[in-house]
Amino acid sequence: MQPMQLLGAVALLGAVAVTLLLPAMSHGEAARGPSPLIYPRQSLPLQFDHAAHAARGATCTGCHTIAASSAASSDDLMPGEAACRSCHAIDRTRPAKVTPPPQPPARCDACHPSWAGDSTAPAEPPRLTVPFPNIKFNHQLHASRGIGCETCHAQVAKEALANESDLPRMGVCLGCHTGGKQPTARCGACHLTLPDGRLKVNLAIGGAIATAQTGKLEPSGSLRGFDAHTPGFRTDHKAAGRDMSYCLNCHRQSECLDCHNGVVRPLDIHPSDYVTLHGADARRNTPDCSSCHRNQTFCVGCHQRAGVASDPSGGLPGRPVQNPFGTGTGVKSFHPPGWVRDAAGEVISTPRPTSHSFQAKRNIRSCASCHREETCLECHSADPARGVKMPNGAGFSPHGPGFAESSRCRALSARNRRACLKCHLVDAPELDCR
Amino acid sequence: MRWLLAGAIASSLAISFSLACSAWAYDFTVDVRTIGQGYQVRGYAPDGSNQLLTRRRITQYLNLNVFDIEPDRWKDPDGGRNNLFVDVSLRFDTDFGGYTLGRPTGLDAIRELQQNQVDILYAIVGGRDIGGRLDFQLGRQIHFDLVDFYSFDGADVVLRAQKPLVVEAFAGTEVRGELPLSSPVFELDGTSAGSRDPATRPDQASELRPLAGAAIAVDPGGATALRLAYRRVWSATADRLPGEPSSGVNDEKLSLTGNAGWRDRVFVTFGVRYNLLLAMFDDQQVGVRVRLTSRQWLSVEQAYLAPTFDGDSIWNIFSTGAYRDFRATYELHFAPGVKANARGFVRVFESTPDETVAGQDLGAQAPGGRLAGGGTLGIEVRRARSFLRIDGYYDDGYGGRKVGADLSARYAVYPGQWELEGRLTGYGWRSDLQPESNRGVVFGAQAGSRYQLAPGMRMHFLAEDNTGTLYRSQFRGLALIDVDASL
Repeated sequence: MQPMQLLGAVALLGAVAVTLLLPAMSHGEAARGPSPLIYPRQSLPLQFDHAAHAARGATCTGCHTIAASSAASSDDLMPGEAACRSCHAIDRTRPAKVTPPPQPPARCDACHPSWAGDSTAPAEPPRLTVPFPNIKFNHQLHASRGIGCETCHAQVAKEALANESDLPRMGVCLGCHTGGKQPTARCGACHLTLPDGRLKVNLAIGGAIATAQTGKLEPSGSLRGFDAHTPGFRTDHKAAGRDMSYCLNCHRQSECLDCHNGVVRPLDIHPSDYVTLHGADARRNTPDCSSCHRNQTFCVGCHQRAGVASDPSGGLPGRPVQNPFGTGTGVKSFHPPGWVRDAAGEVISTPRPTSHSFQAKRNIRSCASCHREETCLECHSADPARGVKMPNGAGFSPHGPGFAESSRCRALSARNRRACLKCHLVDAPELDCR
Repeated sequence: MRWLLAGAIASSLAISFSLACSAWAYDFTVDVRTIGQGYQVRGYAPDGSNQLLTRRRITQYLNLNVFDIEPDRWKDPDGGRNNLFVDVSLRFDTDFGGYTLGRPTGLDAIRELQQNQVDILYAIVGGRDIGGRLDFQLGRQIHFDLVDFYSFDGADVVLRAQKPLVVEAFAGTEVRGELPLSSPVFELDGTSAGSRDPATRPDQASELRPLAGAAIAVDPGGATALRLAYRRVWSATADRLPGEPSSGVNDEKLSLTGNAGWRDRVFVTFGVRYNLLLAMFDDQQVGVRVRLTSRQWLSVEQAYLAPTFDGDSIWNIFSTGAYRDFRATYELHFAPGVKANARGFVRVFESTPDETVAGQDLGAQAPGGRLAGGGTLGIEVRRARSFLRIDGYYDDGYGGRKVGADLSARYAVYPGQWELEGRLTGYGWRSDLQPESNRGVVFGAQAGSRYQLAPGMRMHFLAEDNTGTLYRSQFRGLALIDVDASL
């Protein structure tokens, strides 16, 4: 085993092992703010301490009275002044009212900082802005199943003013929503959807309150890692695309085929005059041409029409070659000297560094973008009556040393001997890999 | 047989539509897109002189999605169960330019030039989460995973037997360019449509290729899954001669793919494919993606690919080499809407035993050597009304040298209504095979405009001009009308 093969095998085995071991570990939550597309930024010009209230025995539903019966995320669950009045002796006619300890304060600016409530202040304190979240949620349904507030809003009772950062992230939801017998794992169960069931990805950043800006909901990578729509994602999404059903949550399949069945050039993938540049990419196969094009239709058709590719024997036996590269004048030689023939025009029988064989072994796909199998059979057929032979009369065998004894020979011969019969006669003993 | 298949597809669609009629509530979306392009490509006349071939292309897409076919009583409160749908994508692509009108005809005809072609890209009657356990698709469908992609006309059934176990079976006939209303892009290369030599068996192209396969997966949800899949494609021997086999395998593969994630920070994906036709591993992929901080990601990948072909092709014999890639990508989110990435790769072409002759490694001395490598640097800035992206790249080694940069920008004059876009490109290249004669530079500029005529109806115009070593000026125009309606 070569070092490279060993390295590849170790990497593969390591990946398999990690795949088997990682599920045992739970989802984690990254310390970062929620997406403003899901939870638009709130404006809370308020002084409030959840922890202090909780320490005094206040309950969540004591203030957020309709939360347990709310069926839609667009419901306004913020407590109004009436909820505060149950403890705070608020008197709007006395904005600076002083209450003796341990009674809770009743001054306006105790909760509305820097709003004195007197004649020098605006008529009303600054309003709270709590945009609707861009997800679906049914508090009532969750409460009826015994899911307590702290399950999703774990930190609220330990901190002062809560904001959008205290709303649950997707990882919390996925702690229960795993599908099967557990609650649904369908993305559209929580995310807003279009009529056809795909997720609505163009969302108002300001929710229903401020719709001046919109943003596009895209995977951040926190769910599957490789699904993050990074700047390079459009050209490198093979790992994410391994699960088409996941992609179809947001995309139509036709979007895949816009590129992957390409007849219209995507300008960001093949910019400018890509026809001039594509040769280097095709030889290196970077990006993989076959992910969008079939060499033997897309490439051969254009190359032959443009006169770049040689149509062997002019297309039919006995007919002259039809293109300038095939004339062998050297004026428009596509391949470098020494590719097939030497300077004297003789077929090279001993490999040289410039021989075509090295290129064909590495990436014969680039050969297939111009040539048909006929080209190879001109020299490589084992049929004694066909094509160019070596000086000793033997054909130019493409088989490497030990091929006849290889598992590759046996597998191919057993599964499709038609390929073998293109070069070998039907009664040739080598067809049995001996 | 071909028309029989086309008839079967049409029947499937007719049945699905008739089923839809019996329901009292269904919706559909229609996406109609017309794209016109005009440009020229450089070519060579038979006498060796230069010629410009004009292309005047029209491409028409029609995508239809019918959903909510099932009666309301079938649905669960969530609405995600027992869903029936029809999803169809059709394409017509033609060229009125000299590229095709002046193409060789008769004995010299280039059969690989597919023109005036109507393709059914896919046409599915499907069901999702039927009885909470079953997904199915009937018709022309496309499947892909990390190490495989294919398209067939037939049936696919996925059974979620007992979470996390998933079992899948599929059967049909492979979609090939030789079939009517079919695009060849998902079939393997190897046997050319234009082959004329009896020794290469061009007659074999007329045979249908039955396909069958199965998969078993463990999918607990989230980032973790493991899937083992098998697929076999075969065909009967056309015009069989004495001594020839009655049938042959065109493709037979066994693949294992998987992925896992740990604490939203570390993600692993891998795939390995064994080609039973050739008794070899022909594709391996391993990738690890790590969130370094809340704003930084690092991805490391290793890939191995040995090019393989249709089982009827002799190129499976010639292609004995393989290459191995090592890639790394670093991504940084500077600030909301500002992302940058750096990516590098090294490719190593593996040595085959016969590359060493008389103690000399001729493979290493071949043009381009045995190594290739390169990298890209890019930054992207998104704002509410604008988008800017700059990329630079450099590749060298096997295949040649490529160095360039690309700047693109978009600005919404009236958000949601009218956008302007532009792109500046410059690059140079040098072939490794003929570095003295095959090299040059190109500079290009694009300008475009997207306009929303009405909700769901957009127009897009684009003009491009390039200049460089080969062209003083190369102009291209593109116009697109897209109508996307939900009814």
